[in-house]
Amino acid sequence: MIPALHAEFLKLRTTRLVAGMTGLAVALTALIGVLEAVSAGTGKGMAIPSLATAGGLRDNLAATGFALLVAALLGVSVASGEFRLKTATDTYLDQPHRGQVLAAKTVAAAVAGAVLGTAAAATATGIALGFATSRGYPLALTDPAIARYAGGTVIASALLAAAGVGVGSLIRNQVGAVIAVVAWGLVVELVTGATVTAAGRFLPYTAAAMMAGDANGGGMPQIPRGVNALPYPAAAVVLAATAVAVAAVAGLTTVRRDVT
Amino acid sequence: MTVIEVRDLAKRFGPATAVSGLSFAVGAGTVTGFLGPNGAGKTTTLRMLLGLVRPTGGQAVIWGKQYRELGDRRQKVGAVLEASGFHPGSTVADHLRVRCAARGIGRPRIGAVLAETGMSDLAGRRAGSLSLGERQRLGLAGALLGDPEVLILDEPANGLDPAGVLWLRGFLRRLGADGRTVLVSSHILAEVAQFADHVVVIDRGRLVSAGPVAELAKAAGQAVMVSSPRAEALRVALAAEGAVVRAAGPDRLEIIGLDTEQVATLAAALGIPVFEMTADEGSLEQAFLRLTAMEGRPG
Repeated sequence: MIPALHAEFLKLRTTRLVAGMTGLAVALTALIGVLEAVSAGTGKGMAIPSLATAGGLRDNLAATGFALLVAALLGVSVASGEFRLKTATDTYLDQPHRGQVLAAKTVAAAVAGAVLGTAAAATATGIALGFATSRGYPLALTDPAIARYAGGTVIASALLAAAGVGVGSLIRNQVGAVIAVVAWGLVVELVTGATVTAAGRFLPYTAAAMMAGDANGGGMPQIPRGVNALPYPAAAVVLAATAVAVAAVAGLTTVRRDVT
Repeated sequence: MTVIEVRDLAKRFGPATAVSGLSFAVGAGTVTGFLGPNGAGKTTTLRMLLGLVRPTGGQAVIWGKQYRELGDRRQKVGAVLEASGFHPGSTVADHLRVRCAARGIGRPRIGAVLAETGMSDLAGRRAGSLSLGERQRLGLAGALLGDPEVLILDEPANGLDPAGVLWLRGFLRRLGADGRTVLVSSHILAEVAQFADHVVVIDRGRLVSAGPVAELAKAAGQAVMVSSPRAEALRVALAAEGAVVRAAGPDRLEIIGLDTEQVATLAAALGIPVFEMTADEGSLEQAFLRLTAMEGRPG
């Protein structure tokens, strides 16, 4: 297990995947955060409340919605990228116990996801607090509350990246796996949450976004109205369980398939 | 001593049979060419040997064990199955560092294998910028990291220019001279004959021939070339005698399975004029083609 873990971390350190995905997550977070901050309190369109209010500041801190999705895609790339680049053959020659490779990838992706989440959270927090203070507003949230949302982004990014490894192992075709994750996050969960609101909070992307500060009816992408956040630890458990379940299914099915 | 043993190996992909009842052995310290036309099942067999593809029957073992059960001795098996299995953004040295880490091999080996494969000057280059020949060398460098006793190479000459082929030939000769056991797949017998002691020939997933290279042509059978204005009548008569006959040009036949005396006697008995008859010792390549053609003979 240790050599496999060492190799997976080394792969992430010696390629541009983590830097590229983190850059994308930061760029999306910055774009959404700045747009939200600039229009906050104007009442126009989907503008968030004023940054002088707790709700407005929280919404701006939670501009990491798309970054969470990018974290999941990072995990997908860690797994399915092996088949796209045809490196899976050497990976399994070096470590033929495939369950260990899957576990090592999951751990490495979680750490990389946490790095991505930290960068996204720092971006969102910097923008929200920067705009609020530049306008002379006293901070409407306590420091622990702000830290809680930033921490939620970090934890949720790590766990979504881990779950992404499972998805990328289940669907070896990288394009297919990316489409599946994006469709799940932006379509399946939103539709499910809007139609069965009681179930919405248990869906992984929704739970992750709400850990990062998204509220009922808010966020980008928007959380369906009527879906209330799970308690913070429960949301983390939902995400962890999702990662473990997807990895287990992959480990029992596709991971055992022939590498041709 | 047998190092690699394939016993009654079979693999089906849905309705298609890739390998069927294949058995052969590779002895310690030999360089063995694993030959067959494209689609013969060579790659599938090697992947089953290395635990990447699950057999539907039989087994393939190294030192009597399946690859994944070799434990620490797995370090002593090197393989190259993909010519371009690299992350394009990774440097040559980083690629080898990852492989060292995955195998638990010390990094000092990196310099040694780069030198051995003539890649020392390319350590800092990104894999995506390497030529095909350089990629083949990088693959070989990766396979040598564990200072392996057994090397399994799938079509390492594919896509190489003449200089690359020459280098590879010398490289494989050196591996053989070092006493390593090498199994090299190829579809070019003449090339394999430059460095291999033994050959295993398969076609359509089944064994056609196995043994020393020198005996392959003999095993394939001497061909008799005949020119006759009544070639078709002679073809029918020869086929009825059990020979494999194929047209080698207008009024010209290539006959396998009968010698010149038997062919001449039959033609004379039937009153078929023969203008020319030669015993063609044949090249290794022709022997290979004959072997695989014979394997495909109906009935």
